[in-house]
Amino acid sequence: MSELCAVTGVGQTHHDAERSDLSMHGLVREAAVRALADAGLEWKDIDAVVVGKAPDQFEGVMMPELMMADALGAVGKPLLRVHTAGSVGGSTGLVAAKLVQGGVHKRVLVVAWEKQSEADASWVLMMKIPFAAPLVAGAGGYFAPYIRAYMERSGAPKDTGIKVAVKDRLNALKNPYAHLKMPDITEEMVADSLMLWDPIRYLETCPSSDGACALVLTAEDALGSCEKPAWVVSTAMRSEPTMFAGRDGVNPQAGIDCAAELYRKGGITDPRRDIDVAEIYVPFSWFEPMWMENLGFAEQGEGWKMTMSGATALDGDMPINASGGVLSSNPIGASGLLRFAEAALQVRGMAGEHQVDGAKLAMGHAYGGGSQYFAMWLVSSDKP
Amino acid sequence: MSRKAETDATKGILTAPYVLEYSYTRSTGPVLGRFFSGLRDKKIEGIRVADGRVLVPPVETDPVTGDELDEFVQVGEIGTVTACSWLAEPRAEHPLDKPFAWALVQLDGADTGLLHAVDCGSAENLEVGSRVEVSWRDERHGFITDIECFRLLGD
Repeated sequence: MSELCAVTGVGQTHHDAERSDLSMHGLVREAAVRALADAGLEWKDIDAVVVGKAPDQFEGVMMPELMMADALGAVGKPLLRVHTAGSVGGSTGLVAAKLVQGGVHKRVLVVAWEKQSEADASWVLMMKIPFAAPLVAGAGGYFAPYIRAYMERSGAPKDTGIKVAVKDRLNALKNPYAHLKMPDITEEMVADSLMLWDPIRYLETCPSSDGACALVLTAEDALGSCEKPAWVVSTAMRSEPTMFAGRDGVNPQAGIDCAAELYRKGGITDPRRDIDVAEIYVPFSWFEPMWMENLGFAEQGEGWKMTMSGATALDGDMPINASGGVLSSNPIGASGLLRFAEAALQVRGMAGEHQVDGAKLAMGHAYGGGSQYFAMWLVSSDKP
Repeated sequence: MSRKAETDATKGILTAPYVLEYSYTRSTGPVLGRFFSGLRDKKIEGIRVADGRVLVPPVETDPVTGDELDEFVQVGEIGTVTACSWLAEPRAEHPLDKPFAWALVQLDGADTGLLHAVDCGSAENLEVGSRVEVSWRDERHGFITDIECFRLLGD
């Protein structure tokens, strides 16, 4: 990679259960307009558009990016769609970063979105295929056994997940774009909420959201008037099959390898010490401690200690999901890019009330499918 | 149709139908939403783009400049056929239960064609340049089918 790449524009929608005021392309445009304004650019300045969203059956429109070309100012320009299930927002950011780093384009608009109110993603994930075992479980049902396995393996206190759920919802109160706003949330409230897929309770689960996120990625010689770029210092992507003999679904090898490459390329030797803040894809509360171990922030079996000690809180030594995370807003296709975007906002000092003081190096993380697709980046306030 | 798996005893092969269906909803947004609502009141609105053209149905953003659009323009109920295709044997889901034409109708005041059905008796009665007018349904709900079809002007 010869060119440096920076985030110079960040935009997102106000995420909500139902943005019935907007069409799909209107939703995407709301985020894109904000990213362009942040970057001080106009539509004509953009060289290419990269779009990400989760599978098409979530809204029932085949290749919806094509009908969005007008709304995304992409007429006559390259428009590329990325598909990697729930991690797609992250992968989309990485594809766009490569286009800049590879010298193909100077300014790329990245957009990721989901309009969950147009359908029912849980049903889409519960296809009952003849002669196959009727799983009828959705994402929560798929992940619950892995969480159980983690609890037994690590001996984590039973309320670890509850603490994550409360922490992320309290962080969301400081994020004006977050979907869930639960000022009165308590650990008791989470503990008493409906057990959906043991051990995942209702309030330990992400919401269904309509929302979009957009970034402007720019080459070093096209920064223009941007005074606070977030420099992309390292990127990594990995995947593995959903099932194979010996697979560890609690601590997937693809995640370990992806983080290792990210740190190697970014010169990180101790992620907990070197990284100031991280936005990690946590759709079910227990994935915070699980990913802390998978990503090397904690030793095996000790991720829960970071949660229980308050290390992952906004004022802790390793703040995780200062924005409120996926547990507070989950427009699926956008959720990964939101992690990347929030990381950029942190190192630009533009995260508002959920800003981590002095954040210089931040990590964005996304995963998808059956914990099989991983996309990560490190962004810095300092030029690499 | 039974959705249960069955055994074909003569072949010993298991077969089962697989019907995959989800329910979807659509948010039309502020522009198409206004267009559809207008049909309820027998009003057809297009939108003006930067180069001066009026697009019907309206779109949210200018296809050339990418800018947001908000200048609605009411167009006529009479228009000119710019393309047509005869459908001799309509099936159950078609809008009319007798032979009809699919046509692009450029309504007076519009610069683009609206796709709809034209009830004109026979293929010989319709050609590019034919003048047609809207035939409204008595009960309208804000759907494109509030326009039952177009008919030859004067018919």
